Amino acid sequence: MSTAGMRRGGTALVVLGLLGLIALYWMAFFWVSTEVNQGVVQRIFYVHVPAAWTSFLAIGFAALASGMYLWLRDDRLDRAALCAIEGGLVFATLVLTTGPLWGKIAWGTYWTWEPRLTLTLLLWFIFVGYFMVRNSTEDPEKGKRFAAVVAIVGAMDIPFIHLSVIWFRSLHPEPVVAKPDGPTLPGDMLATLLFGVLVFSLLFFGLFLFRYAVEGLRAEADLRARSVA
Amino acid sequence: MNTYLTQMWAIIWKDLILEIRSRERIAAMGAFAVLAGVLFNFSIDTTTTRPQDVAAGLIWMTLVFGGLLGVGRTFHLESQDGALQGVLMSPAPKDAVFLAKTAANFALLYAVSLLVLGVFGLFFGVGPGQNLGWVVLVLGVGSLGFVALGTLFAAVSTGTSMGETLLPVLVFPLLVPMVIYGAGATTWLMNGRPFVEVEGNVRMLGAFALAAVAAGAVLFRYVVED
Repeated sequence: MSTAGMRRGGTALVVLGLLGLIALYWMAFFWVSTEVNQGVVQRIFYVHVPAAWTSFLAIGFAALASGMYLWLRDDRLDRAALCAIEGGLVFATLVLTTGPLWGKIAWGTYWTWEPRLTLTLLLWFIFVGYFMVRNSTEDPEKGKRFAAVVAIVGAMDIPFIHLSVIWFRSLHPEPVVAKPDGPTLPGDMLATLLFGVLVFSLLFFGLFLFRYAVEGLRAEADLRARSVA
Repeated sequence: MNTYLTQMWAIIWKDLILEIRSRERIAAMGAFAVLAGVLFNFSIDTTTTRPQDVAAGLIWMTLVFGGLLGVGRTFHLESQDGALQGVLMSPAPKDAVFLAKTAANFALLYAVSLLVLGVFGLFFGVGPGQNLGWVVLVLGVGSLGFVALGTLFAAVSTGTSMGETLLPVLVFPLLVPMVIYGAGATTWLMNGRPFVEVEGNVRMLGAFALAAVAAGAVLFRYVVED
């Protein structure tokens, strides 16, 4: 796909995602039924959980692109990883903002060392480490390789972190969708949640494509500046 | 296979000889461990907190911080006078270099972790008692996972302009499983619980260490290539 085509595609997906976001807010506020035990505050769930899924999608995607980059050395793969990590950082920040807001009312405290919240916090730090490594090398090629290693090891470590923090303590509501005996969520709640996941994925890929096109243009501009100099 | 081991051994031997002669890292780590024990003693009010409740956690934190101090400098001396290029240009494959560096670091950190165990036993009067063998095993498995990640990211941070200050940012989030399983198992063992109760933890610690060693052996070549 051409850079311009990617930018157009990205814009289209972002616009679609934003329209979807409006619909999601409408569903979350007016359409879906109120949860019995937690009341109105549970509605933040429809933003919190899709954002969390998207940030984990981002690290997986980035690790895959990073691995391919180390193998094939195509700069486009490195740019894909960078843009996925950026998107992941945004969505992980969203999770870490909505989580404590929800937690303050549902559990009476902003922060608990609840496994999935802890995992997201650590994921956030892995994302930050990716940028710190990338930006602190004089040779950009070296920065790309180092950052790729951080993304791969980070993604590999996530199952271990996940298991260990679960072992450490669990206060969080039990998983309600991805369970062996099918989802236990009532129909309208499940629909809203799945719609949220769709919207956030659209937004992520839209932003991703857009950023990817910009990074492509930057690389082109760098190349042109170097050939002039 | 035999050449591989010979090459590894040559690098391990070189690193250990260097350490025995200069005593640079082992002295810094050892002094850190003892002094951390002293500071912990003053930071905890032993009339309200029982030392045996927190000792295992303090031991593991001392291990992490002290380990970072030494492991972070794995490539420091060699990168200073360009000797690292020599090691990398030797016929030894890059993963052999990584495994050898990890093994040498492991010897260093394991020695320090046993020192930490002794120091805490001396200062706080807490010890593993009859579980001594198991605690020594847990510390060994944990140290292995730590040095594998530490050595890989020491190579990364040595190549950046931030140097060792970057290391904790990269390594601490990844070390969470090691600290949780390691400190958890150590606490139980030091409180006299039988090994079978923490066997699952130690298995996970072992899986973590193996994954870290394997990831490092594969990825190290991309970090040091030029």
